Amino acid sequence: MFRNHAFGAALLVGALILAACGGGDEGSGGDVADGPTITVSSFNFPESTFLAEIYAQALENAGYPVERNLNLGSRELIFPEIEAGNIDLLPEYVGSSLQVGFGADAPVSTEEGVSALSEEFAAFDMVVLDAAPGEDKNVFVVTQAFADETGVETVADLAGAGDIVLGGPPECEERATCYAGVVSVYGLSNLAFESIQEGSARIAALESGEIDVSLLFSTQPVIVERGFVALEETEGLIAPENIVPVISQEVVDAYGDDLTSLLNEISAEITTEVLLDLNGRVELDAQDPDEVATAWLTENGFLE
Amino acid sequence: MAEGSGLSMEFVSDVVDWFSDPSHWTGADGIPQRTLDHVWLALLPTLIAVVIAVPPAVVLAHRHVGRFFANALINVGRAVPSFGVLIVAAIFFVRAGASLRFWPAVVALVALAIPPIFTNTYAGIANVSPALVEAGLGMGFRESEIIRRLELPVAAPVILAGIEISFVQVIATVPLAAVLSSGGGLGQYIVRGFAQGRGGVAETFAGALLVALLTFVLQRLFAAGERLLVPAGIRRLTDQTDQAAT
Repeated sequence: MFRNHAFGAALLVGALILAACGGGDEGSGGDVADGPTITVSSFNFPESTFLAEIYAQALENAGYPVERNLNLGSRELIFPEIEAGNIDLLPEYVGSSLQVGFGADAPVSTEEGVSALSEEFAAFDMVVLDAAPGEDKNVFVVTQAFADETGVETVADLAGAGDIVLGGPPECEERATCYAGVVSVYGLSNLAFESIQEGSARIAALESGEIDVSLLFSTQPVIVERGFVALEETEGLIAPENIVPVISQEVVDAYGDDLTSLLNEISAEITTEVLLDLNGRVELDAQDPDEVATAWLTENGFLE
Repeated sequence: MAEGSGLSMEFVSDVVDWFSDPSHWTGADGIPQRTLDHVWLALLPTLIAVVIAVPPAVVLAHRHVGRFFANALINVGRAVPSFGVLIVAAIFFVRAGASLRFWPAVVALVALAIPPIFTNTYAGIANVSPALVEAGLGMGFRESEIIRRLELPVAAPVILAGIEISFVQVIATVPLAAVLSSGGGLGQYIVRGFAQGRGGVAETFAGALLVALLTFVLQRLFAAGERLLVPAGIRRLTDQTDQAAT
């Protein structure tokens, strides 16, 4: 009997400590109803990570319980996690999400894309929030020297540039929005593929001429800094790519409009110029994505 | 559990499908060519590391000098991550106009291979019994003869064991090179499969299986070669010690 009492007392003390800790955490933020922890995730490139940090820090500041699972990988890796219910919030890109994530057709406009995406994500119990005005498209870039030499201005012009190599991350090879799509839509039988996962190595390879064309993001400041030429894509292979946060139905049900309107207010401020600026701080000034997010939120009055 | 076993059956058949796809057996991206690339990309850095590490280790250990300095240097070498060396070497080589495919990986793998070879060589030579060296001097051996005819043969099993450790590590690390280019031997299957998420799991697994298999086969071959390189007298000695140990 005595032992049982002692055991019970130990359990009680443990429970009290846990309760006290829990209470302390809740108390630090605002007055938010109890609810599930919001797991925020991002793709494995800096822009996705600082966007996820922006949403995560704003939520934390408003008192919501947040857990981070950032820099996770490509869409091919993240979507199964969303389907399994392991991710509650992810900054997505309208066009790529539809085409790569769901194998759907490329949207013509942002509005059409968001409504199509809402239908697709409903199957995962995820809600698509308002799209940000800012977008970040995939672009195929060449060096100024290559453009001068071959007269290439559009992706279609590559057909006349001889045997050339496109460098991109490994997943690019099979994607309809990347190498596989470019080859079939533009009939570029002269274009080979080299898999270079590391962005810095890919840029170095482009400058040295080991590859002739590189896949980059349109908001990468390195394009302007190095004077690369972004090739015009005329066949609608690359769709509108506005940033759009997707969030789990469970979280929306638990916290309601307060949470969604906070996220929508933030998205409204994220323009393409903001993306270029913040990418510059990460890539050129070597700041950490979380610092960049804090600084931007503070500059725009979302954090004190 | 039912769902789990269903998934694993599907997974096994995906892997079997991957191996039975004829396109995975021909051309530059096929298993035979990638296996050859993999072997060459492991063999060359190991040989370079032997050339770089063995002579200084032999000379220093013979003179019983520099143990502290050499150990410190080697331990720093061990702490350097291969991935970091690979990326730095890649950017350096590509700026110098060389290809991303081969040399950056060779540099990173040489750096990986040096420490075990150096440490084992040093320990092997330094631990040769002083009595043996005395006897050699007594027989009128010159310094170079003591190294060549006495210390190197006696230390051979330890030195070769170090080379074997490095070789196996290098074979298993070659796949890292696949993040930089479409090379990287069999590692390309792993990196490409991984980037495709669930759809690429079978390819990743097939790549990992092939690398493990290749590592095992080459390690056995190396061990067989080792027996040929160790002088018969020393081999008998070490065999006896092995038996005593078991």
